[in-house]
Amino acid sequence: MDTHLHVDDIPALGWKLDAAECVRRMDEAGIGRGVVMTIVDAPEINPQALDLVADACAAYPGRLEAFARIHPWYGHEAVGLLEQAFARGFKGLKLHPVSTLSHPASEDTLRLVRVAAEHHAPTLFHCGDEPLATPYAVAHAAAACPQATIILGHMGGYFHVDEAIEVAEQHDNVVLESSAMPYPEKIRKAVERIGASRVLYASDGPACSPRIEVEKVRLAGLAADAERLVFAGNAVRLLDAVS
Amino acid sequence: MLVGESIFGRSADAAELIGVMDDVGIEHAIVCPAKPPDYDLSGANEAVAEAVAAGAGRLTGIARVDPLLGDAACADLERALAGLGLRGLLLHPWEETFGIADRRVDLVVEVARRHDVPVIVAAGYPWLSEALQVGALARRFPDVTFVATNGLQLNISGLGQIDAELALARADNLLIQTTGVYREDFLENAVRRFGAHRVLYASSYPLLDPRLEIRRVQWASFSDVAATALLGNNAVEVFRLRSEPDEASVDEE
Repeated sequence: MDTHLHVDDIPALGWKLDAAECVRRMDEAGIGRGVVMTIVDAPEINPQALDLVADACAAYPGRLEAFARIHPWYGHEAVGLLEQAFARGFKGLKLHPVSTLSHPASEDTLRLVRVAAEHHAPTLFHCGDEPLATPYAVAHAAAACPQATIILGHMGGYFHVDEAIEVAEQHDNVVLESSAMPYPEKIRKAVERIGASRVLYASDGPACSPRIEVEKVRLAGLAADAERLVFAGNAVRLLDAVS
Repeated sequence: MLVGESIFGRSADAAELIGVMDDVGIEHAIVCPAKPPDYDLSGANEAVAEAVAAGAGRLTGIARVDPLLGDAACADLERALAGLGLRGLLLHPWEETFGIADRRVDLVVEVARRHDVPVIVAAGYPWLSEALQVGALARRFPDVTFVATNGLQLNISGLGQIDAELALARADNLLIQTTGVYREDFLENAVRRFGAHRVLYASSYPLLDPRLEIRRVQWASFSDVAATALLGNNAVEVFRLRSEPDEASVDEE
């Protein structure tokens, strides 16, 4: 299961990512199920963002699951959209603190994380090297919402991976997600330090190669049972818990 | 690839590099000095020359200097290129802490220009070697070939791509390496838009894993001709390697 894929059309960046390409790339990598989300957020700058994701999942039943990408600034409207998303079968919340200029520890953000937790759904944070999105910043959200499952997408990017592992050691509700960060051996270190049950495979595809991201996990040299958890078992457990 | 003892703790000697190259199917590698624990880049250049000598003809060495040292850096570079037989210059703005577009860099680039050797820039580091900063330097020296690591960007949101493409569009003498570039579509677009001759496979071993890095080229949607260029022929041209290896053969930096 690939827990981080995108569908969206962003002419300003020249990025056109559709569901068919996600599924083609999943097939290429031997992936059965994927979780898709948009690049931008609802209600701004795309009021139709949830529909776009729901349509993608409807086109590939059993292959694609949905995460709702919501802009924290929109208060009750944002909460309402997230509740709608769960009512429509979405499986989690995606937050990108850089694109929304929303600190992970801000009350606007925490409000959404708490709603997700009420549905036993995970919150996937973009977590890399940029201001607002470093592991230590996201750790504040994990500490403020111990009942929430917090996924560190990209597990710290290029230069914050060790900090991501440290944050996961300190907060039992933090899960590390492997997409894009370039170090196979850091996946192995993460498994050694926090256990295989809190590390997830993902690709950030389809523009990033799910096949290469699979290879990255394989090169980590995990034990077979640990690798099975990272590739699928953990994601299935997280998504099956969503109410 | 990087050779020699590193202050950051990731060190490799010539024998280790050759072993890794054999594992991945690499025939030849461009090797640069790691940042040494004693900060002595002159000594690190000598260590690279020794590694090349121990490399059975499979390693080509690059010199590294700190341009903030001015005339002393120029003298070191002269000695490395003329005396030690090294074949290019590595500038690492992040580890030596200088801005790549700083005019003081021009002095050492001028030495490289006189020797007609390429300049590798550790690129994508915030404030110091951003894509457009590297591009500015490349435009000041249109007759020098600049090779930027990391596809000119280190941004896990993909937000460095536009600056990287702008830099490539404005400087034909600026090339990129594939190291750590997770967006496959960026590499494919770079080849499509700027030509396969502008992109070179590299691993930055021991910082990154060549077994993964080489897949970024082998598994992307490149023609066989383009893939062969990225995996070897471009490096043969840029670093003027004597014999042209077969495909999947040259690992830079």
